[in-house]
Order: sequence, then C-alpha cells, then structure tokens
Amino acid sequence: MEEETLRQSYTNQEKNDIFNNEFLPHIKSMYNFGYRLTFDQDDAKDLVQDTYLKAFRFIESFQKGTNAKAWLFRILKNSFINDYRKKSKEPSKVDYQEVESYYNSEEVDRQITPDLRVESLKDMIGDEISNALNALDVDFRTVIILCDLEGFKYEEMAKILDIPIGTVRSRLHRARNLLKEKLGEYAKSMGYKNTES
Amino acid sequence: MTNSVNPFILAHGKKPSCIEMLQLILDGEATAEQQAYFKSHMDKCAPCFKSYDLDNTIKELLKTRCCGDSVPAGLVEQIKVQISQNQPS
Repeated sequence: MEEETLRQSYTNQEKNDIFNNEFLPHIKSMYNFGYRLTFDQDDAKDLVQDTYLKAFRFIESFQKGTNAKAWLFRILKNSFINDYRKKSKEPSKVDYQEVESYYNSEEVDRQITPDLRVESLKDMIGDEISNALNALDVDFRTVIILCDLEGFKYEEMAKILDIPIGTVRSRLHRARNLLKEKLGEYAKSMGYKNTES
Repeated sequence: MTNSVNPFILAHGKKPSCIEMLQLILDGEATAEQQAYFKSHMDKCAPCFKSYDLDNTIKELLKTRCCGDSVPAGLVEQIKVQISQNQPS
C-alpha cells in the first residue's frame, strides 16, 4: 500500500507522554470495541494489548495531537480481521452487493418496524439494547459501535474501515434497520401491540 | 417560510430520500442550512417527524446502555510492562 508517512522523531519521554496522554485515555472505548467484536473478555484484552503495543511500536508515524482514537480503532479493527478472525471461524461476511442494491431500492423508504415506538424502547431497562446490537453481523455491529457508541464522523469511519463514505452511510442505514427489527421483536415479546396510538 | 432549494441535493443532482436526510441529521453530519431545511421538512412529513424521535432515542440508548463495561484490572499495567520491556533504554 502506498501511504506517505511523515515520520516524527520523539525522545523516549515524548513517546511515553503521547502514550499516556493521547493513547491510554481511549482504553475503555477500545476494550468495549474489542469485547463487542469477540464477545470474549480474554480475546478483547489480547486485542487491546496488541493494539497498544503496535501503536507504541509505530508511534513515530503518529503526529502528536492528531486523531489518536481513530488510529487506535483502525489498528484494533485490522488486528481483529487479520489475527482473530483467521484463528476463529467467524461466519462468512455479508453479501454487500445485496446490501447496496437493497439500499438503492424503493423498499428502504418504507418504515420497516412501524410498531416500534419510543415508549416501548424506554421500557427496555435490561440488556435488550445491548443484545440487539450484539445480534448483528460483525460488519453491521461495527458501524453502529463506531458511529453511535463512539461518535466517529463518517469520514473517520471511512478511514478506520477502509471503505468509501457512501458505503459507510449505506451500511449504517442497513445496520440500523436490522437493529430496529430486533428491537421490534423484543418490544413484541414485551407485550407491545402493533397498533398506532 | 419555505426553503425552495433542498440543500441536501448533491452535486450530481440526485434528490435524497427522507431516510438519507434523517441519517445525516442524526449523525451530526448535516450543515446548518440542511438542519434548518429538515426542521421545516418535519412539519410537512409525519413519518420523518416520528422516525426522528425514534432514531434519536435508539442512538441515545445505545450510548448509555452499551458503553458501560469497565477495563479489566491490570490491563493498563500489563501493557505498560510490555512496552517498557521492548523499549531501548
């Protein structure tokens, strides 16, 4: 990959300062990301540890004061794909051709879960929201984590995931519809009727 | 009080769907002009009005309910030890 990297030159003290002040503050988000990708505490710990070690090893490619969080998320995501996913037999990826054509179809403008209402969502005080998120395929789960949990902008997500912004948007859209379907099922099981008030 | 030109229309002239507009608004990706347009659009579009509330609630719930896990004790120390071992003095 042709990537122009402007290498910095840091003293050991500077490296430690960047690590402590710019990298470590994101560890909670990183661990949450790792855990929601693997659903295993030890695997999440390993992913986070690998990410931080890699970040430190390549710290001179990082320019102080720039977007450390996005860089760390990118490293973790790549470690997950390259190391973890290869080891474990993750189910095959979603057919994005299908996703994109779905997004471009008329169907998307229809309300998928007309019965899902704000009140039923607010009554979900247990793990329903978290379970619904965890039930999504990993690529859909990832965009929701990056956007809704971590507040990344589309442009940052595109860089983290190596996909065009248009794909970020369509994947996010599809992920949210799937999440709503899941939440709609929970709402139904909680006894909410499919009627409009 | 009508905005005749839809500021969501992209350079290639494609008119965005309600859902596309809503997504930009919810994710904080809309410009001030787009936000103003969407505000007045919601007065004329009940499904958008309803979806806005619902989608916003889901977004907030995701943030409050799915970010609570704490980092396992000792992880930061473990990382620091590994780094100091690999760092030339």
